[in-house]
Amino acid sequence: MIELDHVSLTLGSFLLDDVSLTINRGDYYFIVGPSGAGKTVILEAIAGLHRPDQGRILLRGEEVTSLPPEKRGVGLVYQDFSLFPHMSVIDNIGYGLRVQGMGGSDARREVAGLLDEFGIAHLANRYPGTLSGGEKQRVALARAVAVKPDILLLDEPLSALDPVTQERFIHDLQRLNREDGLTIVQVTHSRREVRLLATRMAVIIDGCLMEEGDAGVVLNAPRSREVASFVGIENILDGVVVKRAGGHAVVDIGGLVLEAVTDAPAGEAVTLCIRSDDIAPGTPGDLGNSVAGVVVRVVENGPIAEVRVDCGVELIAAMTRRAARDLCLAPGIPVTLSIEAAAIHVIRE
Amino acid sequence: MDIKAGGPSSDKGQWRRLWYTDRCMLWFCIMGAAIVGITVLALANIALTELADPVHLLEIAASSEVIGSILLTFGAGANAVLILVLFGTPLAYVLARSRPSRLKGLVESIVDVPLILPHTVAGLLVYLLFMRRGWLGAPLSEIGLAFEDAYPGTVVAMLFVASPFFINTMREGFEKVPIHLENVARTLGAGTFTTFRTVTLPLSLRHMFNGAIFAWGRAIGEFAAVIMIAYYPFIISTLIYYSFATEGIRTSRSIAFVVIVVSLGVFYILRRLTRYLGRYDDRA
Repeated sequence: MIELDHVSLTLGSFLLDDVSLTINRGDYYFIVGPSGAGKTVILEAIAGLHRPDQGRILLRGEEVTSLPPEKRGVGLVYQDFSLFPHMSVIDNIGYGLRVQGMGGSDARREVAGLLDEFGIAHLANRYPGTLSGGEKQRVALARAVAVKPDILLLDEPLSALDPVTQERFIHDLQRLNREDGLTIVQVTHSRREVRLLATRMAVIIDGCLMEEGDAGVVLNAPRSREVASFVGIENILDGVVVKRAGGHAVVDIGGLVLEAVTDAPAGEAVTLCIRSDDIAPGTPGDLGNSVAGVVVRVVENGPIAEVRVDCGVELIAAMTRRAARDLCLAPGIPVTLSIEAAAIHVIRE
Repeated sequence: MDIKAGGPSSDKGQWRRLWYTDRCMLWFCIMGAAIVGITVLALANIALTELADPVHLLEIAASSEVIGSILLTFGAGANAVLILVLFGTPLAYVLARSRPSRLKGLVESIVDVPLILPHTVAGLLVYLLFMRRGWLGAPLSEIGLAFEDAYPGTVVAMLFVASPFFINTMREGFEKVPIHLENVARTLGAGTFTTFRTVTLPLSLRHMFNGAIFAWGRAIGEFAAVIMIAYYPFIISTLIYYSFATEGIRTSRSIAFVVIVVSLGVFYILRRLTRYLGRYDDRA
């Protein structure tokens, strides 16, 4: 559906370096990475707004590297929604239809349908300057899909919205992706959005594609320390395999010894990634690690409590606030942590 | 009493707060008033003198020579601005949207050349180029377009000195239109020119108008550059100078006062007509 084949692109001092990725029809694809990593540049390159210095861009199997944006059939929604301030809502939504030559009753019927579909019929004659963030966003989405693109590019569309509006918008996006079969490529900083929506994803750091693939795999089993850090794995520990035991590797992390599932031989340096919600207080099962430590700090964040435990190295465990209170976890309290060996993801150097 | 935000009562409160709390702003206002004061004093001076002799003033204002000269000046200025709008707008857009480069810097410097030149030098440049033996003047006079002591000469001199005012203002306007708007328009199916015509230009209309006003004001006020190539027909500046040199201060002062009144009137009407340009808030 969308293919970037060794695309390199220079914009001032920024370099997008040899990026190759494939987005399949119907994917809800996320491009994530820190600010300035080049996520939006990729999106705009797909839209035809930047021409690569090297490499090829293919849409629907056809090379479109030199094709202007108006010929590519992709919709684009920016974070700031970019509504035309001099046009009413109805004119914004109908803009694409008008410039593509659809006029009169057909265009009016299309726009009326979209106004109803997105629940913004009451805003038809309003101007963008008077709309709320959520309203602007629905108008922007309606305008983008009005010309019936089969690819929708979204540049951090949720970041400027309040939580309630975000939920409603996520519902709209899921509908467009699942019911209307729209291929969606979304740029975001938010791990929550990725977990909620992504089928596949790419991680971009400093203009380089670090990893691409199934969202579950990238989020839970990243191939590099940078990606692990970016996707929010709380415990990233460097260690060395000291021996192998029963198909497991025994890894020494600065005095803390953990068993993990990996083929790494003894003597190999590895990085262990453990999500905080895979570390729990209590006694482990047969395949688990039992680690004794002392609580250093407990931070409550809504219904979740993040407990930092000094086990020789500091581990972060996440549990419900209720569980943390029931266990009377507080700084200075000794605690035993259980970590399933299979829950430890091993990155081999 | 119903006190609305921004109404007279809140204005009064605002000034009171300014008086008591912001001495810095107060001093800034006093210093600024010195500049404004010079203009006000100059206008008051001429107005009081002229209004003391309304018969003479009306006689001058009604003379065909003055009316013809004002119409010629305003018309030539408008003509120059029209040419600037047609040719300067695309240039301003290119300058606004192109990436920094040596070529861009060079073009920007060339655009600004009329700003830094003495007006007589600007006039001489125009004369040398458009005189009957000039690089452009010679071929154009062969097809019947003469510039020396002719209306086209007045227009081209005005065009030359006014061009940076329009182009730079227009460029600023284009730069203020977010590129994202153009990007979205392109993905919706609009080509570059359609995007320019339907999105960028409408959103820059206020700057286009302001640039045209600045350029027109500059054009109708030009003297030195115009007389170098077109002493005749008399534009208003030339007429005032001619009257001053041949008839003395009284007549030239009356003509000047008429010009001031007409110019202020025209500018006021234009501002009123376009006050809502660039405002897109339907709550107002």
